[in-house]
Amino acid sequence: MSGYRGVDFYHFDRCLSDEERSIRDTVRRFVDQSFLPGIRGHFRDGTFPLDLIPQLGEMGLLGPSVKGPGCMGLSGVIYGLICQELERGDSGLRSFASVQGSLVMWPISVYGTDEQKNTWLPELAAGRKIGCFGLTEADHGSDPGGMETRAERDGDGWLLNGSKLWITNANLADVAVVWARTPEGVSGFLVERGMPGFSTNVIHGKYSLRASDTGELVFDNVRLPDSARLPGARGLKAPLSCLNQARYGIAWGVVGAAQDCYDTALRYAQERKQFDKPIGSFQLVQQKLVTMVTEITKAQGLCLQLGRLKDDGINDVPLVSLSKRNNVAMALDCARMARDILGAAGITDEFCPGRHMANLESVYTYEGTHDIHTLIVGAEITGLSAYR
Amino acid sequence: MKIAVCVKQVPDSETRINLAAPAAKLDQTGFTRVLNPYDAYAVEEAVRIKEARGGEITAITVGPETVRETLKKDCLAVGCDKAIIINDPLLAGADDAAIADVLCAALKKDNYDLILFGIKAIDDDSGQVGILVAEKLGLPHVSTITKLELGEGTLTAHREIEGGKEIVDCPLPAVLTCQKGLNEPRLPSLPNIMKAGMKPMQIVTCADLGVTPPAALVEIRQYSPPPARGTCRLVTGDDAAAAARELARVLNEEAKVI
Ligand SMILES: Cc1cc2nc3c(=O)[nH]c(=O)nc-3n(C[C@H](O)[C@H](O)[C@H](O)COP(=O)(O)OP(=O)(O)OC[C@H]3O[C@@H](n4cnc5c(N)ncnc54)[C@H](O)[C@@H]3O)c2cc1C
Ligand SMILES: Cc1cc2nc3c(=O)[nH]c(=O)nc-3n(C[C@H](O)[C@H](O)[C@H](O)COP(=O)(O)OP(=O)(O)OC[C@H]3O[C@@H](n4cnc5c(N)ncnc54)[C@H](O)[C@@H]3O)c2cc1C
Repeated sequence: MSGYRGVDFYHFDRCLSDEERSIRDTVRRFVDQSFLPGIRGHFRDGTFPLDLIPQLGEMGLLGPSVKGPGCMGLSGVIYGLICQELERGDSGLRSFASVQGSLVMWPISVYGTDEQKNTWLPELAAGRKIGCFGLTEADHGSDPGGMETRAERDGDGWLLNGSKLWITNANLADVAVVWARTPEGVSGFLVERGMPGFSTNVIHGKYSLRASDTGELVFDNVRLPDSARLPGARGLKAPLSCLNQARYGIAWGVVGAAQDCYDTALRYAQERKQFDKPIGSFQLVQQKLVTMVTEITKAQGLCLQLGRLKDDGINDVPLVSLSKRNNVAMALDCARMARDILGAAGITDEFCPGRHMANLESVYTYEGTHDIHTLIVGAEITGLSAYR
Repeated sequence: MKIAVCVKQVPDSETRINLAAPAAKLDQTGFTRVLNPYDAYAVEEAVRIKEARGGEITAITVGPETVRETLKKDCLAVGCDKAIIINDPLLAGADDAAIADVLCAALKKDNYDLILFGIKAIDDDSGQVGILVAEKLGLPHVSTITKLELGEGTLTAHREIEGGKEIVDCPLPAVLTCQKGLNEPRLPSLPNIMKAGMKPMQIVTCADLGVTPPAALVEIRQYSPPPARGTCRLVTGDDAAAAARELARVLNEEAKVI
């Protein structure tokens, strides 16, 4: 047992229901017992703990808030708490769950046919099938509207050509939700592993999100039946709506990583002695710890309000952008401060802050970079868009 | 098969106890409370028996109303069917004998084939309640079990003894206390956590059970912090024989142990 208890300086626990707290505590135990003992090895080896996927499914941690066959349709707050606990383990674990739930199951549940829902949702929820989400391309990241992947009508089906880069779970996925330009605008397709012309490649040499699969999807004249298209998804706003779901989970998740860093630094500062005193007794170290606990507490307030709003049907992009932007930057700052407090010990994988810090660099960039979220909130408050 | 599991909520093992000087009471503010870890083995064993043979599991606890969340999460969400909380101001300061009396009264309200406990609660470490209940109910008991096989109206349990194990047969109904190693407790799934809130949970008083708890035989008079750890002294020197002589002298004259 790590003895990790999270941070609850402002008694936010009082704002949670019995069920919400029980689920949070249960996921925390799962991370302690099943995930953390193996994370150093997976991070070193650059592998995802595939053996845990069935348990993630059995416990109900994949797409818990998605509505549809085999899904539970739980609240946004519960989904957020789950993300927070998974990312306390590692951003790679939360990324896996975010992609499966928010970027694969959610669009199928909202834009798919009954047949697509019945085929995929129960399998994805149980972790028997894995999905990925292909929007970003090598030359089109922040501006996905420029995408070059195309699907052309081909008899009663489609012919897909192009490629997607930086795709989480690319090499693990049984099904890819792929966004492509068509004569009718941007559309989403379900591309299955094994379809002729569809291949995937691993991205090597990452120093961030090492315990997560990141890769490339390549489509060379992949022939798709019309039933592979998500009929409800029309135009770029469809993939962007998926991102809004996933960003919501990130806004919560990174607060878990920040709490893990703070918790580690606090314990270290109470034990570690220099100049014959615990370093936690020095004003400069206290200032860092206080900054961390303050910023974490503020971020918890944002999350809870964002979650309650979402559960009331208010889920506007700029609201999510503000929290994603604030919380990821906050978590990254906490990881750096915690690393600093650990001195030289902080640069090894004996302690979590270095790993969280490296991971959070990816989280800062994916699902809309920090600066793109600045521009989204900026456009919202001024009515003047800086990027379109 | 009707199974009762008697459980207790305890401060978690990472709790920091603030006790600078001896005191009559512990300051328990800020304690995080969890299911007694040994009771989790009892709950898990009951659920496995139910899964294999069918039946019904009742979790019973003596404690404040705030144990509801622990009972829901760690008993009802993992497979117990109902819960009974015995909550009564009369039980403030109750000792093991009184707790056992009250549990017996609750257990007598139904016909259980099997009554499971953890071997001990990690807060007071007393380890008596399960056995007291068995004696008071006149039932056979096996303590510290690490393996259980059920027959028809009988059971075979393995129990830990000093330097070995003992294999015990006994008839049902019986009382067992469960030790680490018996099983690996599962985590509840999200759907089961959500459903746990719908399972029956009854809060009863001593009067409801028709029992008057006896006056405590045991009184806790003082809690005191453990003595500070002594300092360590290293006997050094290049001459091993001289160092050994010095060590022997210190052990004899100063520590007075040889
Ligand atoms: C580990 C990892 C996993 C990922 N997983 C997925 C996935 O599963 N699916 C998927 O589709 N994508 C995924 N991505 C891709 C991710 O969404 C993109 O990296 C992200 O959108 C940024 O795109 P880019 O990397 O091309 O950077 P660019 O868009 O080239 O941006 C580079 C820099 O320019 C800045 N910038 C760009 N435009 C502007 C502007 N108008 N004004 C000011 N600054 C600007 C950015 O903020 C950034 O600092 C993943 C990325 C990573 C690192
Ligand atoms: C890669 C690497 C290579 C190294 N190479 C060498 C080498 O070749 N030779 C060598 O001798 N050493 C080397 N070092 C050791 C390095 O100099 C020490 O790590 C450094 O002095 C900090 O000491 P520490 O790690 O014990 O941290 P600590 O001294 O324990 O500091 C921990 C934290 O407490 C803070 N702190 C400590 N005291 C106070 C105070 N009074 N007031 C406020 N804050 C305080 C620190 O700023 C820090 O944030 C190396 C370290 C690394 C990481």
